[in-house]
Amino acid sequence: MLGAATKRSAPEESKGEMADSRGVTATSTEPVTAVAGQPAKTIEARDVNLFYGDFQAVEGVSMTIEPNKVTALIGSSGCGKTTFLRSLNRMHELTPGARVEGGITLDGEDVYAPGVDPVAVRRLIGMVFQQPNPFPTMSIYDNVAAGLNLNAKKVSKAQKDAAVERSLRGAHLWDEVKDRLDKPGAGLSGGQQQRLCIARAIAVEPEVLLMDEPCSALDPVATLAIEDLIGELKNRYTIVIVTHNMQQAARASDATAFFNIEGTGKPGHLVEVGPTQEIFTKPGKQETEDYVSGRFG
Amino acid sequence: MPEVARAEYLEELANLEASALGGLDLVNTALTRTLEAVEHQDVELAQLVVADDDRIDGRYLEVHQALITLLATQSPVATDLRLISSLLHVLKNIERMGDQCVNVCKVIPISGNEPPADEEMVRLILSMGRNTKTLIVQAKRAFEERDVEMAQDLVRQDDVVDNLNRDCFRLAIELGDDADKREWAMTMLLAARAIERIGDNAVDIGEQVAFVVTGLFREFEDASHPER
Repeated sequence: MLGAATKRSAPEESKGEMADSRGVTATSTEPVTAVAGQPAKTIEARDVNLFYGDFQAVEGVSMTIEPNKVTALIGSSGCGKTTFLRSLNRMHELTPGARVEGGITLDGEDVYAPGVDPVAVRRLIGMVFQQPNPFPTMSIYDNVAAGLNLNAKKVSKAQKDAAVERSLRGAHLWDEVKDRLDKPGAGLSGGQQQRLCIARAIAVEPEVLLMDEPCSALDPVATLAIEDLIGELKNRYTIVIVTHNMQQAARASDATAFFNIEGTGKPGHLVEVGPTQEIFTKPGKQETEDYVSGRFG
Repeated sequence: MPEVARAEYLEELANLEASALGGLDLVNTALTRTLEAVEHQDVELAQLVVADDDRIDGRYLEVHQALITLLATQSPVATDLRLISSLLHVLKNIERMGDQCVNVCKVIPISGNEPPADEEMVRLILSMGRNTKTLIVQAKRAFEERDVEMAQDLVRQDDVVDNLNRDCFRLAIELGDDADKREWAMTMLLAARAIERIGDNAVDIGEQVAFVVTGLFREFEDASHPER
């Protein structure tokens, strides 16, 4: 249930305890992790409408985001894909005046239900941003441990060391930084910084990773390294990635969702979602075909 | 922003399609000359067809290279990708059709300068040729118009050519024991077989039409399991 990662299949009726249990569970005992081979969680969006004040940014999105798969959200700027992404872990509501209508569930549990702590939701559904944003003055070690420190009541040094190493290994960064864990994260290259942010996100053992254009600030080599990493991470997590790079969506995702707007000021909507292979070889709708073929305007 | 994004790329792709399918016009000309050479035992005309096949081969290489460049530089997907993939197939079909004309023309000198040993055999081969020319024209049109029904109709027409080919075979057996006659009949069977293969290639092009339109590739007819 939400906020209690130690009880992956806790019964429905204990939902009310979520707020109390947040943050404690991952660290009070050896954290139960999203283990490879064990299914991650499914996100279900039902008729999601998103607003910034009076302005409706996203209209009527319903889709299922499958576990252990990479789902790419594509569409031109302003079509609402990032807004939709941010609604999945309740980051949308951090913008003043923003509000959400409709339902979003994580393995059947409503992430917007009364009593659900948004912080607990964000711990289960992590986010990696477009610009690598490590805490600049913190060491590499502390960057990764940051989430653990926030969540933890008591974490032993040994547990923390293990979690940092596991996360850095999981982000393919360990070999590059193991001898300078006490150096600032800002001293890393752009690609390394992004992998550091991924390590930070997975350190708290989320179920889902949201990535908002994680490679758009990176060079091609670093981009391919992140794509390889994404391919590996899906064995443990459900991954949703927003990308403007259609080749990246084609290469790195299993499912692709295409968002579009009818015109400036209109809300974005989901045009089509399907297996990536189909979207890029024989999409169901002409609108999708025009977009993926670069035939807009 | 231009009216249509990627206008140059789309124009290039359209030009390459026209150029590839134009290869079918070259094949049609080659086949017309081939049939004339068969009818009149015209060795010189046959040699011209053989020499002229370089044009079909040249078209194949040129368009093939340009399509590979488009793949490398433009990252085509969806319909564009299917079109390019099918054009690569169709180019190969066209190149094979040209080669089959060459095969026919190469056996004409073997059959000698004597008048045809059997008028009926020549009549059958010319009939095969005419039907095959129709197949070539129809395959081109079906591709240009993305007309799956017209493409599927190629199978029916190809059956006519196949039946004529079988008639040639039966006739060759009935031609008797004269050694010269038998040798002539043998070369004519090679010619009939080559023309029959041209028809098969036209049907293959029809299958590519269906792929471009529907995204599904399947053979219209499975020669290995005709009962299915």
